[in-house]
Amino acid sequence: MGDGIVIVGGGLAAQRCAQTLRRLGYEGRVRIVCAEPDAPYDRPPLSKAVLADADAEADLPYRPPHWYVEQGIELLLGVPAARLDGVRRTVALKDGRELAFEQLLIATGSRPRHLPVLARFANVHALRTVADARALRAALAQGGRVVVVGAGFIGQEVAAAAVRAGVHTTVVEAADAPLAALLGHAVGSWFTELHRGEGVEMVLGATVVAAHGAGSVERVTLSDGRTLRCDHIVVGVGVDPDVDWLGDGGLGPVGAGGQTRMAGVFAAGDVTGGGHWESAARQGAAAARAMLGLEPVKAAPDGFWSDLYDTRVQYVGHAPTADATTIDGDPSARDFRVTFTRGGRAVGVLLVGRPHELPNARALLAA
Amino acid sequence: MSYTATIDSGACAAHGDCEVIAPDVFAIEDIAVVVGTGPDELMLKAARACPSVAIAITDERGRRVYP
Repeated sequence: MGDGIVIVGGGLAAQRCAQTLRRLGYEGRVRIVCAEPDAPYDRPPLSKAVLADADAEADLPYRPPHWYVEQGIELLLGVPAARLDGVRRTVALKDGRELAFEQLLIATGSRPRHLPVLARFANVHALRTVADARALRAALAQGGRVVVVGAGFIGQEVAAAAVRAGVHTTVVEAADAPLAALLGHAVGSWFTELHRGEGVEMVLGATVVAAHGAGSVERVTLSDGRTLRCDHIVVGVGVDPDVDWLGDGGLGPVGAGGQTRMAGVFAAGDVTGGGHWESAARQGAAAARAMLGLEPVKAAPDGFWSDLYDTRVQYVGHAPTADATTIDGDPSARDFRVTFTRGGRAVGVLLVGRPHELPNARALLAA
Repeated sequence: MSYTATIDSGACAAHGDCEVIAPDVFAIEDIAVVVGTGPDELMLKAARACPSVAIAITDERGRRVYP
């Protein structure tokens, strides 16, 4: 058997690449190297259902263990990659093993950013893995006060889960509204009021500048001078691609089929700087096609979605390039649509409580 | 059992929610495909759950039920 294809990373892009390779008839060796102890699983529920209910973990795996056996896909679990040698075409693993490859997919995803001011404390949570979600679910079950730093979608979903679990919840966001950089101040402010209406305390235009406590954070001081008591802190201030193991050169530019500057080496998913479920899914499949010399498949523009207090929020396009916005519907009833336009042409759409309008929104953006 | 489901192949990202809700109707291959039929309400539930809104449901006269 040849060295075949090695996939480094155990998330959605990795699983989709392996699955697509087999579906397209590739019969060579396929190995997936996962840093986590679990086979590839779905992450969006980690900040939603899994925080509320341990039983929701049962639905996370993309495929059951026997699927990998049936497909002849080897899983190397719980072992991170340490080094890529592009000349010898090998990947060294942290446990000392070395895997030779004919083709390689880099799909190591991303890592949550940390706040240096909170670095030495025990009760500071990030949310990326199922282990993170379990730890946070256990913390929320203790009750008390939680401070969520960052009001991106992860921070907002955690805040929604926390306040619904009966925990006193405060969100601290550096901008003057959630998602302001993406959606603008006016639309961002709708999210502020959504959370306030559910009982979340929203502190905007502020950052955490100091933390106090022995072992665990008991209070944080904010840039506006105020102090918040807390039992748990969740940090959701963005992610960085997990590229350290690639060495000084990093990943470099990535082509439409995931091609990197090294022949036979591809990249897909969050490691490319994408950061959304649909792009990771499509990039993983696209890399598999490119590995087999096939043309990419045309797809709809990627979007992303969130569920906040049982309301679905969907977004497609690139709103930051807009010069005008139009709001249709009733924001106070959680039922509206925001159309972002530039020079009269639609460049982005946000849907709240209107999932059925998504096909129309995509058509509008494609027009 | 009068509804018909169709998948928008450009929009489907193979999230898989439909297969979980109605495994007799939908299966995930490269994208979701319709493999059978089932109770109207179950098919409608699967279509409504799709994060990409890639499933269209029509009734026996061809009228759009969802989206």
